[in-house]
Amino acid sequence: MQAFKNADEILDFAMESEQKAVDFYTELAEKIKNEEMKVIFREFAQEEVGHKAKLMKIKEERIFTIPAERIADLKISDYVDSVVIKPDMSYQEALIVAMNREKAAFNLYTRLAVRTDVPELQSLFRGLAQEESKHKLRFEMEYDEYVLTEN
Amino acid sequence: MLEDVKYLKFKTYLNTYCPHCRNTFNYERKDEKYIVFKSIYKGEEAELKLSPYLDVFDVESSVEVAENDRLDDLICPKCKKSLIVEEPVCGECGSPVAELIITAFSKLMPFFICLKHGCTWHGLSKADENRVKLKIPRQDMPEQDMKLRVANHGEVPYGYTTELAQLEAGRCLQCKDPKCVKGCPVNVDIPAFISLIRDEKVDDAAKKIKETNMLPAVCGRVCPQESQCEALCILGLRDRPVAIGNLEKFVADYERKMDLVKVPVIKTKLKKKVAVVGSGPAGLTAAADLIQRGYSVTIYEALHEAGGVLVYGIPEFRLPKSIVNFEIDYLKQMGVKIELNCVIGNTITMDELLEHFDAVFIGVGAGLPVFMNIPGETLGNVFSANEYLTRMNLMKAYKFPEYDTPKPKGNKVVVLGGGNVAMDSARTAIRTGSTEVTVVYRRSRQELPARHEEVRHAEEEGVKFMLLTAPVKYIGNDQGILKGLECLRMQLGEPDSSGRRRPIPIEGSNFVINCDVAVVAIGNSSNPILFQTATDIKRNKWGNVEVNPETNQTSKEHVYAGGDIVTGAATVIQAMGAGRVAANAIHKKLSAG
Repeated sequence: MQAFKNADEILDFAMESEQKAVDFYTELAEKIKNEEMKVIFREFAQEEVGHKAKLMKIKEERIFTIPAERIADLKISDYVDSVVIKPDMSYQEALIVAMNREKAAFNLYTRLAVRTDVPELQSLFRGLAQEESKHKLRFEMEYDEYVLTEN
Repeated sequence: MLEDVKYLKFKTYLNTYCPHCRNTFNYERKDEKYIVFKSIYKGEEAELKLSPYLDVFDVESSVEVAENDRLDDLICPKCKKSLIVEEPVCGECGSPVAELIITAFSKLMPFFICLKHGCTWHGLSKADENRVKLKIPRQDMPEQDMKLRVANHGEVPYGYTTELAQLEAGRCLQCKDPKCVKGCPVNVDIPAFISLIRDEKVDDAAKKIKETNMLPAVCGRVCPQESQCEALCILGLRDRPVAIGNLEKFVADYERKMDLVKVPVIKTKLKKKVAVVGSGPAGLTAAADLIQRGYSVTIYEALHEAGGVLVYGIPEFRLPKSIVNFEIDYLKQMGVKIELNCVIGNTITMDELLEHFDAVFIGVGAGLPVFMNIPGETLGNVFSANEYLTRMNLMKAYKFPEYDTPKPKGNKVVVLGGGNVAMDSARTAIRTGSTEVTVVYRRSRQELPARHEEVRHAEEEGVKFMLLTAPVKYIGNDQGILKGLECLRMQLGEPDSSGRRRPIPIEGSNFVINCDVAVVAIGNSSNPILFQTATDIKRNKWGNVEVNPETNQTSKEHVYAGGDIVTGAATVIQAMGAGRVAANAIHKKLSAG
């Protein structure tokens, strides 16, 4: 796993990850057949742009401590099967893809926080993990509300 | 005139209620004990009026009751004296009964009489009348015994008797600004039809309902009135609302049983043709409205029987198929053609339809089951509720081998979900010989989306509820057949910004429910078949058709849509309302040239 020397490096890495997500969803929007789903993936890409901008702000303002919040974890992504990315994906499948990506990012930052001994970096990693868990919650709530309607 | 006044005595089958526990019971007296009424009409007229409700003795056997005869125990609010001949106690709780409400006179009800002094006060002011009405408890429909009904597929509620319907209708306050009408998606004139029941004009009540709702027998049974018209009933603020749905069912059943349904003669015949895709509530309403305006209407139905969700989804014990068939025959008699086994989008495309029709209405419902996407979903004996109910209802699998479709093999059934479809599946499983049926639902009882009545019926019939439980994995045997369902216990989290408490799993609380059949009833979405060959019909991210809400017109010219295919799974009456909006818009468009 990559070793980070300071907060800037971490934030650069995080921004790069968000950019990868933007590219992923934009590319998916191109591949997908259904017009409405194209719009959805473009919206997802836009959300990732927003996440990246937030990180940029942190870097510029040099406020590395993200205030701790209690983020609910519905853990839906823990028990749904992963889906195969294909041109005729449904919205339900799109939500699963998005939830899983956010979960992977959360896991990555949580692991990085454990691996470092520098308190400042640890706190930044935790903050980033918290951000990712917020993003995951947004998709899980959508899934909870509209897919598991009567469940 | 005083000499016209007689005292009549009656055997009593009066609806009496206990002011303590508010239970209704029929207090039947022994032979020597009668309620004695001072007749307010001339004798014969009184007998005629009362005879449908009370066991009336002939006028000759009427007795004179002398003033101050002791007929104690209920207090006349006028003279503060007792009303009744003996001391009755509530049949339910044993408390003394303090008042008697007699519902015999439809117009004068509730009718009070003081037996001691013979004074009556039927000329109640509106305020007095309403005050008295508030004391009449809501009348529940008699139901099949719970032990018997699990062994048959017959309808559970028997419906109101005329007497019960009269009594219930008497509770309606006849509000000047009736909120209930606003709660009805098709704005049935509810106070008007209830008033007609009170006036013993049930046939007119039926006509009144049918002005806006062509499927009252269906709506009276399956509409969630408690969250629509009844939710807004003013009586509900201090007591239970008027049982509008039960009264609607009573009226529709009365009309059908008495053979009062008359097929309207369609005078104008237009040359224009309209196709209706789907024969569920939205399609049937649109078809009925359009044929009555003179259009030629053809309904295309994918299955071998018309009725959509009313026949494949809702079980016989909740909605007898004979009722749906009656409504469909009615449409056929009006001239609607029905093409069965025809899948639009597959057998015929939308563009091909438009070559032959001037307009098309899409009312295909939300027929695509949603799955949880958890491991093991493809194991044998894991069914969607759509498949399970279609097999059981439409294909009559419970009568296998008399019918070709076999019933799923298994006795321990788990049903995933807490809506009406889940209750229908669980109760069907109970009726088809399953030994253990469990509903697994992620949230708490309070959040169960099914109607309270359905949950109550399910519990009475022996369905178990495992609440705050989320399925996470199906477990199969070595032949790929379901043998268990792994679940997690849940707890409700803090309310989020929408105020809703979301279920959150409790770490390490996994456990397995042994089962051999699973029925997934977590929701439905739109079926994409039609749209695979009609890509120019705009849909939203859920696959539902986007329409102009004023006209229900889609993005494709001459194509309209309504019901669940537009809104996602909703109610029968909402679908009917949407069918009507589209029919109006189609008529406006086609009649404009």
